[in-house]
Amino acid sequence: MEQSRAEIVAWVGSQILPHEADVRAWLRRTGGAHFDIDDIVQETYCRLAALRGVDHIVNGRAYFFRTARNIAIERIRRARIVRIDCVTEIDALNVVDHEPSPERIVAGRRELARVQRLIEGLPERCREIFKLRRIHGLSQREVAQRLGVTENVVEMQAMRGLRLILRALSESQTPDHPLESVPGHDLVPVRKTDR
Amino acid sequence: MTSSPSARQIDDEAADWAARIDGRGLDAAHEPKLQAWLAGDPRRAGAFLRAQAAISLLDRGRALAGAEPAVPTPRAATRRALIVGIGGAGLAASVGTAMVWAARPQRLDTRLGEVRRVPLADGSLVAINTRTALEVILKPSSRQITLRRGEAWFQVAKDVHRPFVVAAGRVRVRAVGTAFSVRRRDGGADVMVTEGVVETWVDGEAGPRQRVAAGCKILLADAVAPIVAESPSEIERSLAWRNGEIALDGETLGEAASQFNRYNSRQILIDDPVLAQERFVGLFRTNEPESFAAAVVATIGARVSEDERTIRLSRDHLS
Repeated sequence: MEQSRAEIVAWVGSQILPHEADVRAWLRRTGGAHFDIDDIVQETYCRLAALRGVDHIVNGRAYFFRTARNIAIERIRRARIVRIDCVTEIDALNVVDHEPSPERIVAGRRELARVQRLIEGLPERCREIFKLRRIHGLSQREVAQRLGVTENVVEMQAMRGLRLILRALSESQTPDHPLESVPGHDLVPVRKTDR
Repeated sequence: MTSSPSARQIDDEAADWAARIDGRGLDAAHEPKLQAWLAGDPRRAGAFLRAQAAISLLDRGRALAGAEPAVPTPRAATRRALIVGIGGAGLAASVGTAMVWAARPQRLDTRLGEVRRVPLADGSLVAINTRTALEVILKPSSRQITLRRGEAWFQVAKDVHRPFVVAAGRVRVRAVGTAFSVRRRDGGADVMVTEGVVETWVDGEAGPRQRVAAGCKILLADAVAPIVAESPSEIERSLAWRNGEIALDGETLGEAASQFNRYNSRQILIDDPVLAQERFVGLFRTNEPESFAAAVVATIGARVSEDERTIRLSRDHLS
């Protein structure tokens, strides 16, 4: 049951992180105006960090959606006086497809391409270091020697690159979910009398 | 709801820690400074896990790519370039087409209320809306889709040697690596482009082919049609059905009802013309007209009467 930190990190990397952009897009569609999406996603990772094992989780994507949804509902309940439309709001949060879709299978095939795209999207210096380090498996010291710079320089670039990659991972690249939020897609049915 | 420091700031700090731990080959559990940082804010543990997971995701790229040489020596690089060269020129293409080639048409139909996502053998993906009839023929030199009825959205795998052409009546849409939807209408079709560019024309008509770019919509009838620019979010909204959803953003109740009625045998009827003109915002399941009716009742003060076949909305004269 109990797993090593490295196992959990690897599982989160392969089963959770690739779905983050989808979860964010879904949160944005269902209730972006009613809670802070960054906050909910971060809390989801916190709950994962508190787990001692992930063996019991069959479907990472479904788990991610479910946990984010539960946190969102908790936030809504805590932050607002429950009004009639909150009922609809909470119902709307059930709008999730937990099933692994054929799209996921296609997405799985494209995982390598995606990792390459992430690295290709980095500024030149960062990219060079990331390629040597992550694709060719060189150590930080070997990268420094190869490029004739100090290890400190390599480390600074690694930090910078990872920041950028984390940002890119939170932004969707699939055409399914564009980056811009969709205004008016509130959970709350609002009455519009004229336009 | 956002407290300081911001989520992004925490993410950045977590990235720095993860990169440092990874670069120096340290054990996170035995780094007092890291442990102190983690203890300082409960949100940091999640951000740190996420940053480490990102590194592990990047390393998966290496695993997926297969055994890369540890150091790219000039010789290895040449060999790899050679393999890529052959693969790009024809090897990958010929092997790929030989394996996926199926000249017999594949029929993809949906019933009332059904929405399907189907991956095609060429790596493309089709999302098929309610009451749709579709035929797919994949050949070594072409990919032919016939939309006999209904609506579908295509995410096309790029393959310059095999054009991807959708026929809807006399309307034709050609794409290479693009995402777009086609909906058949009487005497024509709507085409909406979510990614890339498509080329459209009407079979048998002279005149130039029209290129439609992402974020645009074209209504092709037998005559030449104007291209209408739509905001990307508006196009996404019209394609909410791919997730089994109807997204209303100020449509009248009458329009909303006809949207639900596309998916359900249980039809929504709005008796009152004034009520039918009310506008509404909300996100719903296509197969839950009841939730829509309940939301209308709660916010507009309408009355609902239901039986097996219909959901009837009328104005509540007390309100």
